[in-house]
Amino acid sequence: MIDIKNIHVDIGEKSILKGVDLSLEKGKVHVLMGTNGSGKSTLTKAIVGHYDTTVTKGEIFYNNKNIVELSPEQRALEGIFLSFQNPIEIAGVNNAYFLRTALNAKERFDGKKETNAASFLRLMKKHVSQLGMHQDMLIRSLNDGFSGGEKKRNEILQMEVLQPDLILLDEIDSGLDIDALKAVADGINRMRDGERTFLIITHYRRILDYVTPDYVHILQDGQIVKSGGFELVDILESQGYQAIQKDI
Amino acid sequence: MDTLALIDTTHPLYSNFDALGVPNTKTEQYKNFPIKPILAREYSYNTESNLTPNAGTNLVMHNGMLLEYPEEIDIKFNEEFHTDKEHFDSLYFMSHMLSTTVITLKVHKDCSFEIQHTLCEQDSLTAYRIALEVDENIHVEVFESFQTDKSSQAFTLYGLDVHVSNNSTLRWIRNENRADKETEVVGSHKFNVAKQATLVLHSFDFGSASSLHLYKIDLAQYASCNASHLLLSDKDARRGNVVHINHNEAHAKSTQEARSILKDNATGIFDAKILVAHDAKYASASQNSKAILLDEHAHMYAKPQLEIYTDELEASHGSTIGTLDEDALFYLLSRGISMQESRKMLVSAFANTLIDNIPNQEYATKIHKEFENSL
Repeated sequence: MIDIKNIHVDIGEKSILKGVDLSLEKGKVHVLMGTNGSGKSTLTKAIVGHYDTTVTKGEIFYNNKNIVELSPEQRALEGIFLSFQNPIEIAGVNNAYFLRTALNAKERFDGKKETNAASFLRLMKKHVSQLGMHQDMLIRSLNDGFSGGEKKRNEILQMEVLQPDLILLDEIDSGLDIDALKAVADGINRMRDGERTFLIITHYRRILDYVTPDYVHILQDGQIVKSGGFELVDILESQGYQAIQKDI
Repeated sequence: MDTLALIDTTHPLYSNFDALGVPNTKTEQYKNFPIKPILAREYSYNTESNLTPNAGTNLVMHNGMLLEYPEEIDIKFNEEFHTDKEHFDSLYFMSHMLSTTVITLKVHKDCSFEIQHTLCEQDSLTAYRIALEVDENIHVEVFESFQTDKSSQAFTLYGLDVHVSNNSTLRWIRNENRADKETEVVGSHKFNVAKQATLVLHSFDFGSASSLHLYKIDLAQYASCNASHLLLSDKDARRGNVVHINHNEAHAKSTQEARSILKDNATGIFDAKILVAHDAKYASASQNSKAILLDEHAHMYAKPQLEIYTDELEASHGSTIGTLDEDALFYLLSRGISMQESRKMLVSAFANTLIDNIPNQEYATKIHKEFENSL
């Protein structure tokens, strides 16, 4: 699905990723953990082509194609989705209009017929209801005035509508109460079909009580230092990052 | 002949004009609007008038000539109407002196009507004024629009003299969507807002034509003025508004919100001053200007000013000029929306706030459509 090979990424003058090698197996749920500032968010930003990041070395192969030179919108149309840690508020852009524009863009790219307004409305009602969101969130401006939980649910709503193949979830669990966490986890599990690939960035295991990962990777100082199974989460929870020894 | 040569130096308003002088690049309100070459250009002076217009639903002005008027409104021609001798703009006096047609409208009941200006002259100067008196305790809505057709090297100097009587509300929507080249419009206006009356002023300036509107708005006790200005200009346009709001008596309230989007080499102008007089205690005054420059050579001249002579008031002002928010743009791109569409969505979002403030849905929809087409 995605092969990241010796990627070096700068933000401004600062070198953040210093040779990351990471393969995400298709259809699996991968978890990325690491200390603050280790480069987790930078990695997801580099994958989606965020303007902050400069890839100075290395390659990102997605479906056997190097995507480093692709524009962010092209990467999204290819099926890469990032749920932002802090979803941006855009006053004046209607949430439903935004979502339908994005969905229609994806449908055009895939050579499919565009979803019409009535079908889109039905689709929205279904997803909004599943996520326990208020229907009026569709007529509100995009994330504008949303609570932290509402913003995260809205990210999951977008994921479910756009049906991407590679899903990057950057601290999707931060700031969520129990109900919101369950709703978000349910959304992820609904999308988990053995074909889609997930990379969940988190600091805590609580979301992993609802979404069982296949692999866990540890990022420290801009490099993947360890990959393994759920046992790594247990080690981190009980002993902290000092207990993780770098794989040679 | 040029515009200045047309002025009658024996006119009663000449001394007011002369005291302010012929505006040039050093005149504050014309610093970014090239008035001197416009006045110096050779024109034929359009003196046609029509004293037998048709009764209809709207006020239709064709090259300064009245073709139709709303039948529910009292209308008179060239009637003496109060002229503000204290106006800050010399072109206010010039337009009074040069206007061959002064239309006076008197509104006695709640109503809504349109003023349609059609400009289709070449190498000509057209000067006219419209006076409007809104009676006490009524609500009036006016939608003013402009249409140009094959107009070139033409100069339209027009203006409004408006009196909103006690306890009345006037909503004035100016929709000036013009893309014609070398056809300038200068509107020099006066609005007098009486005790407990309200003026709601919406201005929408779209397109590549050049125009400048200068407003002097006087507020009496408990009067209020809510002004909003949306500007979307491109090519070499110079467009904007100069607005002086005077709080002359206590408890008056004013808010001003300007949003400007400039493309190509366009220059936007928002030169606004709120003056709170010594006796205008308990005033509330706020000004805000936001501008987005979409191209390297686009330029915004924003000058929000407060001039305060009393201690007991609430006042604020601010101005920002920038480009599109990169994080917002990236968010849209990251969902597969094209760069062009994403930029359009953000620009529309910036503008929608002001368009959505129009309660009349028919007008709001029309302006939305014109805005989208101008993007």
